[in-house]
Amino acid sequence: MPADTNEELNEKIQVIATFSGGKIYPRMFTWNNQAYKITEITYNWQERKGSETINYFSVSTGPDLYQISFNSSSLGWHIDKIIQ
Amino acid sequence: MILHIDMDAFFASIEQAINPRLKGKPLIVGSRESRLHTVVCAASYEAKAMGIDSGMPSAEAFKICPNLEFVSADQSKYIWASEQIFELLKGYGFEAANASIDEFQMDIKDTPGPASLAQEIQKEIHQTFKITASIGIAKNSLLAKLASKINKPNGIAVLTPENLEQILAKVPAKKLRGVGPKTSLLLASLGIETCLDLYKKSPSFLEQFLGKHGLNMYAELHSTEHFDASKDDSETKSVGHSYTLPRASENTGFIRAWLRLLSEMVGARLRQQNLAARTIHLWLNGPEIPGFGAQRTLQEPTNDSYEICLHAQRIMAKTGQKMPKIRAMGVTCSTLSKVNYLPLFNEQKRREGLLKTMDKINAKLGDWSIYPAVIHLARQKS
Repeated sequence: MPADTNEELNEKIQVIATFSGGKIYPRMFTWNNQAYKITEITYNWQERKGSETINYFSVSTGPDLYQISFNSSSLGWHIDKIIQ
Repeated sequence: MILHIDMDAFFASIEQAINPRLKGKPLIVGSRESRLHTVVCAASYEAKAMGIDSGMPSAEAFKICPNLEFVSADQSKYIWASEQIFELLKGYGFEAANASIDEFQMDIKDTPGPASLAQEIQKEIHQTFKITASIGIAKNSLLAKLASKINKPNGIAVLTPENLEQILAKVPAKKLRGVGPKTSLLLASLGIETCLDLYKKSPSFLEQFLGKHGLNMYAELHSTEHFDASKDDSETKSVGHSYTLPRASENTGFIRAWLRLLSEMVGARLRQQNLAARTIHLWLNGPEIPGFGAQRTLQEPTNDSYEICLHAQRIMAKTGQKMPKIRAMGVTCSTLSKVNYLPLFNEQKRREGLLKTMDKINAKLGDWSIYPAVIHLARQKS
């Protein structure tokens, strides 16, 4: 049977992103001192948490799929989980 | 003409768009993370083909298909996608309304080539959201909704005066919105098996056997009225929340925690809309109390979650059992009115101040940033 849930991480990461036409396109992120090139943004969505807006992205690095997020109030990026 | 857009296996399709590995595979979206102790919220078409569908216990779904893929629901994705699709539809310049999180309607008047318009909408939705929609077009809302189900998934059906009867003859009456199991049985006893049988009945016949509901059904089936999206029929009649526990429980603390959590959710929604309720209804389900439901009517309306919970607990006492095993529960408040009173007594003022402060904190920092300690047990992951 496949894994029960996706692996939750919730860690801060550094991201290189393009902000264009009111949209955000993450291109690369660094996590645990390793750089990951984003080959595809498979989906993106937003959620309001109180007064903050969180932009979520499911991104593929080729072999793996991750969920990362950008908090537009704190301007911080997080890696939320590895999507199985 | 009304154009009804029905997203295909909405939640499951979004999850398949997010994770390409899930494309083409039987997939269920569960209401909670525990894959074997949840309920199917949505099933992909591959899972539907195996007889798996919404509302089924996930354990049963896994028995049918042991290799089923599983994702726990994340409402924020679905709500966001729904809002964005609605914005996209409004861009076409017609009156639009959302019928539910995954269904939308547009009044396209007498626009020529409605099927081409539907194709254009399908294409734009697919390009933007990587998911598909089925579209039904007919002279009224009810028939357009019915038409949207005919060629699922990713299909279009246009009901015209020429093909209407031919198509209605193929659709069982029970597929029509408003025809539940009870009405369906009654209709069958009257020899009404298909939507066409129903369509051809006179209003007096339907009124005779189905009362006001029959008359409404006739009007909805035959209407050619354009809908008025600006018409305010959104007045809240009731506010409720329910939850199915991972397994039947008779743990008093756990059940009370859930009762309080549901009451908090209901109370918060009432306060958001500046409403208060006079009727509190509790619904419980468990092996010893299948489908128990009872209500209390209060002298003064309330939107205080604590008070709602106290009344729900008093209703629970009516089950006549100390603490029955409970699998699912729901709290609903109705007989709603706008809050137009000021608290008189100090204790009331203190409670209202506390609630306002908690609501403000949750609005600023996010839901459940602050909550009564008693519900902590319910908020722990099952």
